[in-house]
Amino acid sequence: MDAARYAALFAAESREHLAEIDEALLDLEQRLAARGLLDAEAADAPLAAVFRAMHSLKGMAGAMGHELVEQLAHALESRCEPLRDGSELLTDAVLELLFDGTALLRQAIVHATGDAVALHDAASSDGPELSRRATQLMARLGAAGERTPNAPPSARPSAHPFALPAALPAALPAALPAALRHAAPAADETSDLFPVARGSAAAAGAGHAESWEPATDSTPHNANLRHVDVRLTADCPLKGVRALLVLSRLQQVGLVRSTYPEQAQWTSEQFDGQFRVMLITGADDDSIAQAVRSAGDVAQVQVYRPAAARTAQHRGTDAHVAGQNSASASAPAASARNDAAGFSLEGPAAFVRVDARRLDALLDLVGELVITRDRLLRAVESSEHADRETQRAARDTARLVSVLQDEVLQARLLPMAQVFDRFPRVVRDMARDLGKEVRFVMEGRDLAVDRSLLDALVDPLLHLLRNAIDHGLEDSATRAAAGKPASGELIVRAARDRASVVVQVQDDGRGIDREAVRRRAETLGLLSVAQAAPDAPPLDDDALLAIIAHPGFSTASSVSRVSGRGVGVDVVNTRVRALGGQLELETIAGVGTLLTMRLPASLAITRALLVQVAGETFALPAAQVEEALVWHDDLAAPGSAAISLRDERIPLVALEDVFGLERPDGQRDPERHVVVAEWGGRRAALLVDALLAQQDIVVKPLERVRGAAPWFSGATVLGDGSPALIVDVTGVV
Amino acid sequence: MSRTVLICDDAIFMRTMVGDILTQAGFQIVGEAETGVQAVEKYKHLRPDLVTMDIVMPDMGGIDAVREITKHDPAARILMCSAMGQQALVVEAIQAGAKDFVVKPFQPSRVLEAVNRVLAA
Repeated sequence: MDAARYAALFAAESREHLAEIDEALLDLEQRLAARGLLDAEAADAPLAAVFRAMHSLKGMAGAMGHELVEQLAHALESRCEPLRDGSELLTDAVLELLFDGTALLRQAIVHATGDAVALHDAASSDGPELSRRATQLMARLGAAGERTPNAPPSARPSAHPFALPAALPAALPAALPAALRHAAPAADETSDLFPVARGSAAAAGAGHAESWEPATDSTPHNANLRHVDVRLTADCPLKGVRALLVLSRLQQVGLVRSTYPEQAQWTSEQFDGQFRVMLITGADDDSIAQAVRSAGDVAQVQVYRPAAARTAQHRGTDAHVAGQNSASASAPAASARNDAAGFSLEGPAAFVRVDARRLDALLDLVGELVITRDRLLRAVESSEHADRETQRAARDTARLVSVLQDEVLQARLLPMAQVFDRFPRVVRDMARDLGKEVRFVMEGRDLAVDRSLLDALVDPLLHLLRNAIDHGLEDSATRAAAGKPASGELIVRAARDRASVVVQVQDDGRGIDREAVRRRAETLGLLSVAQAAPDAPPLDDDALLAIIAHPGFSTASSVSRVSGRGVGVDVVNTRVRALGGQLELETIAGVGTLLTMRLPASLAITRALLVQVAGETFALPAAQVEEALVWHDDLAAPGSAAISLRDERIPLVALEDVFGLERPDGQRDPERHVVVAEWGGRRAALLVDALLAQQDIVVKPLERVRGAAPWFSGATVLGDGSPALIVDVTGVV
Repeated sequence: MSRTVLICDDAIFMRTMVGDILTQAGFQIVGEAETGVQAVEKYKHLRPDLVTMDIVMPDMGGIDAVREITKHDPAARILMCSAMGQQALVVEAIQAGAKDFVVKPFQPSRVLEAVNRVLAA
C-alpha cells in the first residue's frame, strides 16, 4: 500500500466527512429547536448522513491503522442506531453528546494525521490525554457490544457435546469401514433450498453396510447419516456468516437433518465457530470435507459416522436437537423466531376477536387497492400533465397502501402450529394402522403465515404424511437389515424463504423406485420419446415428479384402506399450483425422500389476458399465453381441428365446446380470436370470442370439487365486481 | 484476458483500496459505483465478472442492490464488503444473493482468497 497516497486520500476524505457531519448536526439542532424532540422520521435525513459519514470514517481509519479514530467513529455510529430505528428519540442531551463526540473525533484525526490546519482544529492534544478523554466519551456513549478489531479472538469455550481433538488425525479413524470410501456419485445440478447430490439411481443406497462391523454397542444407525464437525479458523471474522456459507456448500452434497448449535445461534456473540451438521448423504467423506473447506476459513473438518463410542453423546445431541425442535417452544431459538414473526404464542392479552370474514374482506380490498395503486402510479408517471403536487400525492398514497398491505397481512398471520399440532396424533394412528414405527419431528411450528394458507395446507400435508408412512418408510425389520434405526424418521418442516413459505415433508425411507415409476409410466404412455428410448438415462427428480403428479398415477399394487386409490401427489400438486406455488421432489434410493411445497407468502397477483367466450369472461394467465390473433379462415389447417401458423400445426380447441357453453341466441360473434397457449414446450390454440383486456388480477384459490374437470386453477374478481374463472390451459387441452 | 470488476462503495478511499488490491492481482477495474442505484445500472451495462459491494451506501443500500442485480442475473458474482459488527446485515446480503464476504480493514491476502472463491463457485 502506497502510504503517502493513502494518507493524502484519508486526509481529504476525512475533511469532507467531518464537514458533512457538522452540517447534519447543525440541521438536527435547528429541527430540535423547533420541536423539542425528534423521532426517527423527523431526524431521518441528517441522521442517515451522520451514520454514513461515521461508517466511512471508521472503515478508512481501520485501513490506515488509526485505532482511536476507528473506535470513536464506531462508537458514534452505534450511538446513532437506536435513533434511526425508532427505539429512541433524539433529545438535546443526545445531540450534545454527538457534538462532543464529533469534536473529539476531529482531534483524534488531527493527532493521527497531523493535519491541524486543514481540519481547523488548533487544539493539540497529546496521545494519552486524548485516549483518556476518548475512553470517557465512549463510556458516555455507552457503546458496548461488538468487538473492536483489536480485541483478541475469544478463548476456547467450555461445554460442547463433542470436542474436536487438538490435532486432526492424518487419516480418517480406522473404525470406519472401507466400504464407505467408494467414489462419490456424480453431483448433478441441484435446486435451491436443500439440494442433494444424485448418483446413478441404479446403485443401491445404504446396502453397502455388509462389511460394517458394528462397534461394541449394537444400536443400529442410519447408514447415510454423517456428523460433520467443523471448526472455523480463530481469526475468521463474522463466524456466523462463514458457518452459513459452509452449510450452503453441504446442502449441495446431502440433506441437512439438523445442526448443533441451531442456526439461529450462529449469529450470537457466544458462537465460537465450532458447529456440527447432521447430514444425510451418499457422498464419501472426502467429498464432504472438500465441500466444507471450499467455503473458506475452515480450520478443521471431521466427518463421522455416529459410532457407538459416541452413542451417548449422539443420543444426547439428537434428543437435545429433537427437544428443541418439537412441541415445546421454550428454547431461545424458538422465541427468536417468535419475535421475528412478530407473533407470540404465549403473549400478553392485547388481542381482540375479529370475525374471520372481515379479515378476508380486508384482504380482498387490499388486493384491489394494490393493483389500483400500480395503475395510478403508472398513469401519473407517464402523464405529461401531472404536476408536482399530484406526483407527490400519488407517491404518498402508494407508500401508504404498501404500509396498509403490510399491516393487513400481519393481522392475518397465524402460527403453523395451528396446522402442525394435530399431526402427531394423526401420524401415530396412521403408523399403527400401517404397522410402521415412526419418529415424528416438527420444525418451524412458530412460523407465522397467512390464515388462508394454513387452511389450504392441511389436506396436502395429510396426503404427503400418509404417503410417506405407507410407501416411503419401510417396516422395522427391513430398516434394521439396511442399517437404519428401527423407527423411521418423518419430518415436517416450515420455513420462510424470502417471499415464499416453504413446507417440507421428509422421510428417511426407501426413496421412490425410479424403475417402477418408469415402467408404469411407459404402460400409461406418459414417457416422452426421449425418456422411453432404451438407452435413456434414469429419470431425474423433476421428471419423476411430473410423472407421479399425473392424475390417476399409482404404483401401489393394492388399494389400502388408508391410502385409497391413487391418492397423493397429483392432488397435492393441483392444490399447490392453485395457490400459485410449486412442488419439488428430491429422492435418493435407500436414503429417503424430500417433498417441498413452495408457496407464495402473500397475495398472488398475476398478469392475465381476459377473454370472452359465449358471453362469459375468463382469465388466461399471461405466463401461459404466447400470442393472440384475430381469426381468419386461412388459419385453419386441413384435417382435424388445428391451425397452421408459420408452417407449424397447432391443435385448435374451442373453449365454448370444452366448457359446454351455449351461445346466447345461438348467434356467432362477428369477430373471433385465437389465443396461442404454450406450456412446457407444448402448444395449443384456443378459440375464443373477444379479447377484453390484459391486466393484473388477484388470484383466489378455488376449492376443488370432487370429480370436477381440471379446467380452472383459480378465480378472480374483476374491476366491476363480477367474478371470472382463471383457465388452466394444461387442464383444458 | 483478465477478469473484470465493478467496485461499489460510497467512499473514494475504499474504492481506491479495493481497486489497488485487485489491480495488482491482475484484475481489470471496469467501473465504480457510489450508490446502490448506480451499482445496478452499471452492472447491467458492464456485465463484470465480479462485483465488490459495500453494505452501507446512500440511494439504495448494498443489500438491495445485490437483490436487484441477482434478480437480473442469477449468476452474478458479488463479494460483500462489510465493516466489523454487521453480521446480521451480511447474512441478509448472502440470502439476497451475495456469494462471499470480506471485512474491513482489508487484508489483501484475504480479499484475494475471497475473490477466488467467488470466481470458482
